Amino acid sequence: MIQATNVSLVYNDHEKKVFACNDVTLEVKPGEFLGILGPSGSGKSSLLYLLSGLKNPSSGTIHHHGKDLQSLNDQQRAELRKKHFGFVFQQPFLLGYLTALENILAISPASKQRAEDLLAELGLRDKLHRLPHELSGGERQRVCVARALINQPEVIFADEPTAALDHTNGEQVVQLLNQHRGQGSLVMVTHDPTMLASSDRVERMTEGTLVGR
Amino acid sequence: MFLRRNAGKTVPLVLVITLAVMLIQSIIALINSIPLSIRTIYRYTDAFLGVSPRLDPTMTPTFVKTLTTNPPVEIEKVILCRASGAQVKSIVGKWPFAVMAMERADLDYYLQRQGAKGITGRFPKDGAPEMIISESVARNLNLKLGDTFLKPDDSENFSRMPVKVVGIIKADRWMMLSNKQYFADTQPIPIDFALIFTKDISKQGEYDRWAERKMKGEFAQLFAFHQIEKQSSEMFAVLYKIINLVIGVLVIVITTMMGMLMNIYQSQRLVEFGLLQAIGFTKQQLLKRVLIESLIVIVGGWFVGLAAARGVLLIAQAALMTPNAFALDVADPMALMYTVPVPIAILIVAIGTIWLRFRNFDPVAVVERRLV
Repeated sequence: MIQATNVSLVYNDHEKKVFACNDVTLEVKPGEFLGILGPSGSGKSSLLYLLSGLKNPSSGTIHHHGKDLQSLNDQQRAELRKKHFGFVFQQPFLLGYLTALENILAISPASKQRAEDLLAELGLRDKLHRLPHELSGGERQRVCVARALINQPEVIFADEPTAALDHTNGEQVVQLLNQHRGQGSLVMVTHDPTMLASSDRVERMTEGTLVGR
Repeated sequence: MFLRRNAGKTVPLVLVITLAVMLIQSIIALINSIPLSIRTIYRYTDAFLGVSPRLDPTMTPTFVKTLTTNPPVEIEKVILCRASGAQVKSIVGKWPFAVMAMERADLDYYLQRQGAKGITGRFPKDGAPEMIISESVARNLNLKLGDTFLKPDDSENFSRMPVKVVGIIKADRWMMLSNKQYFADTQPIPIDFALIFTKDISKQGEYDRWAERKMKGEFAQLFAFHQIEKQSSEMFAVLYKIINLVIGVLVIVITTMMGMLMNIYQSQRLVEFGLLQAIGFTKQQLLKRVLIESLIVIVGGWFVGLAAARGVLLIAQAALMTPNAFALDVADPMALMYTVPVPIAILIVAIGTIWLRFRNFDPVAVVERRLV
């Protein structure tokens, strides 16, 4: 479904070339839970942003259903991210002036019933109309999970979604993502191997390079 | 939604624009009230052409003959009157005003021509030191029936004998009128002052301009309303240049200030923009959203400012202008025009600021918490 071939991402750090990703070839298969494991600074988040079209590779190609992401314009990429992908980031980013429910409807205004059902399934039935500052960190991240799931995406990209949570809450978030993703794939990067216990496949990454399973 | 749920951030922005617009509109309307008051005070001169000799006091009939021979529009009446000077109060100090003395029958015609709706009190008796004034003059000089206005010991409002106000004319126009006999008896040099009225009042201006051309080179002084209009705009030309400069500086200062405020305001929303872009909104969509919000803030502030200025001007009118019969246009279109550059300039700066921010904006920097 998503195929990255010989992908590299190079930064210029004070005139010195730094490879965030170095010649990575990887496939995300339909319906799989793919874990990408690696220490901090290993380039796993960069790989996630490349796979999701948020960043362009310095070299190599990334195809989604055979279509090169680099050939898409800004609007087409945005459309792809909005309709076909879901995102959960390290920090539970929500719009502070919108309630939990409104944060989800911001992505999909016509899906009110589904948004309410999702939030209820994620244990937030009584907190639909709470503003983010009235929710705990774990609850905020669960709202982010609901936002990622609202359009029943083909792929959910989760960038260290447990990093800002305690272990119990972290496990709960991963469990919820895995349970509710339906037929969609889940690509999760983390430095904590225990969070990938339920994954179908784990790729390890060090210094921008995939080093095997 | 953002504006409504972030009133603490939005209201100060709206208030800055409101204050700027209110300040500009109030200042301009109040300054415009000076020439407007002058035109209001001398508005009565649009009903006739006044002619007086400059050297030879006996020349008035000759001038009248010249001005009534083959005129471009039909003449309805010529009144020969006497006149003396008095002073009225204006926003910028005292202004000269004519006390015109005429026959009783001419008074009736004159008042009808000026649109008077009657008189409280009575007309001056022939030869008696009496006068009538219009309501505006009474309000301006704080005079009432029975008060003495012209006095032998008053150099500004002089008369050989104390002249009493015996009637108040019901009219918006400014008028001071007396009886011709009293003036003829007390003025040392008899100079007749001619008032020439066209039959069609709307053609008085056309006739006045013809008369000016016709009397070029004669030792006569003509009084016509369009001269007052011209003088009132010319005498404030420099003042308006200064005002334009001040308003220009004000617009630059406010726009710069607003630009900086907008910059801070939008900077506080970088996480929001980064997040929205990461999860599938385009730069264009975000730009459009921000522009709509900016438009609401700016146009809203402008409207509130206009309303606030109207309030301030209504208070000024009630407390200061009307009691002294000064003119003030609370809906002055020129003052409104002066406020227009404020929202436009702020909008341009806001668009520029936002566009610069979005041009190289990387949402990944936000979601990775490298840019918060």
